[in-house]
Amino acid sequence: MLLEVRNLHVGYGDAPAVWDVSIEVDAGEIVSVIGPNGAGKTTLINAIAGMLRSRQGQLRFDGVDMTRVRPHGFCEQGIALVPEGRRLFTKMTVEENLELGCYLPRPRAARAESLERVYDLFPILRQKRAQPAGELSGGQQQMVAIGRALMAQPRIVLFDEPSLGLAPTIVDDMFDIIVRVRDGGAAVLLVEQNVIKALSVADRAYVLEQGRIVATGLPDELLKQPHIREAYLGV
Amino acid sequence: MPSATLLGQALISGVLAGGMYGLLALGLSLSWGLLRLVNLSHFALAFLAAYLTYELGTTYHVAPWWSVLIIVPSMFAIGLAQHWVFVRFKVNELGSLLITFSFAVILEVGIQLYWTADYRRFETHYATWSIKAGPFYIPVLELILCLVAGVLAWGTWLWLRKTYVGKALRASAEDADIAAAYGVDHRKLAYLLSGIGAAYAGVAGTFIALIATLAPAQIWAWLGVVFAVVIIGRLGNPLGALAAGMLIGASESIAMAVFSPAWAPVVSFSVLIAILLWDPEWS
Repeated sequence: MLLEVRNLHVGYGDAPAVWDVSIEVDAGEIVSVIGPNGAGKTTLINAIAGMLRSRQGQLRFDGVDMTRVRPHGFCEQGIALVPEGRRLFTKMTVEENLELGCYLPRPRAARAESLERVYDLFPILRQKRAQPAGELSGGQQQMVAIGRALMAQPRIVLFDEPSLGLAPTIVDDMFDIIVRVRDGGAAVLLVEQNVIKALSVADRAYVLEQGRIVATGLPDELLKQPHIREAYLGV
Repeated sequence: MPSATLLGQALISGVLAGGMYGLLALGLSLSWGLLRLVNLSHFALAFLAAYLTYELGTTYHVAPWWSVLIIVPSMFAIGLAQHWVFVRFKVNELGSLLITFSFAVILEVGIQLYWTADYRRFETHYATWSIKAGPFYIPVLELILCLVAGVLAWGTWLWLRKTYVGKALRASAEDADIAAAYGVDHRKLAYLLSGIGAAYAGVAGTFIALIATLAPAQIWAWLGVVFAVVIIGRLGNPLGALAAGMLIGASESIAMAVFSPAWAPVVSFSVLIAILLWDPEWS
């Protein structure tokens, strides 16, 4: 198993807490965590990205105990985050944002090839490479955020609400990209409010409500459960 | 209205004097803009360096271009030590203002105990050298100061733009958590930048010893002007800091020539206020 989260407790300040959460992601998988606003999805993904300390429980990545790793060490293990709201370095150029993704020595050595790959995936970014990232449209900024993660040569990419605030046509593109990221060799952990989309691309899924996992299974199975249909699909 | 020659001379002297504002602003602008630490003790460190240059020069007859080789690394080390205090006590932007104010006062008292409150002057035979260019005189020391400030500002600017460390520092200034998520060890870089800022105070101090008269209370003399310069030059922008220093130096000098010397202190803040009225989000 690539990512193993066992009985994890995370809680900080005013953010929603996560209680006793166990999830797994294997290499080559897309795993979705769905749930309503405030369920703790971002808290969970930030803990896996190393931005939040867990209070209790296990967090293992490829066998390494990540609870002992400092925040800047997570990327080195192969974990890359596409954060909620994109969180680009807005005053820096598009290319500088991408280069921050390959800050560590190993991905830095492959900077040129990685840049080419990202520009082939998102040709518009090649045109906008010298512009401050803050001047791009929402969809283009999301491309930069994904590109930055890919520059790190990750083994898992964590997507936090990638469709949030994007126009519906671009949302479809984003989910296509997520599938391509997986096909490119990285596992994907996706946290989304857009339940239908998140389940349509997922190999497996978890339902997080009020900080706890309340259901898990294959997307088709989850879609048949009355609670899921009622709470998320409104039928 | 003064003559064209007088105005031209005022402009030259002003720009060159502004080089010192820019050099002092450089370190301040870096730590404020990139680490969100406002280091009031920057001026005290510069004066400590100036007194050390004076001491080494007068007592041990070490030329300033040799003593700077000892002083700058020492200042770098002091910058690291100071940053350790910031980290140890989790100092924020406002806290840094208070804690570095107390650093400055302690340094001022220390300087006063050792060198007394008497005025000190490091006399050198080259202090008054100047080049004559047409009707104008260009003081050599100040010209060298401006060249050094220019090299440091340009070098720092390139370092921040072109190297991974520089980019990581700029990224961390905007979103430290995300930068860390991509492997940036901000704590290490912050130590480096604090050391560099203090080292720049050391360079400034060497020139202060050569061109100014030293007294402990002089620590505070440049505070207002240099703060205005840092903001006018935009936080964290080394070339901006130097350009703003020269702009303010020239404006002050022209104001003194046209109106009266009493007007000089008004200039820097008038320029700052005008800029902030024009663009409230300037800095």
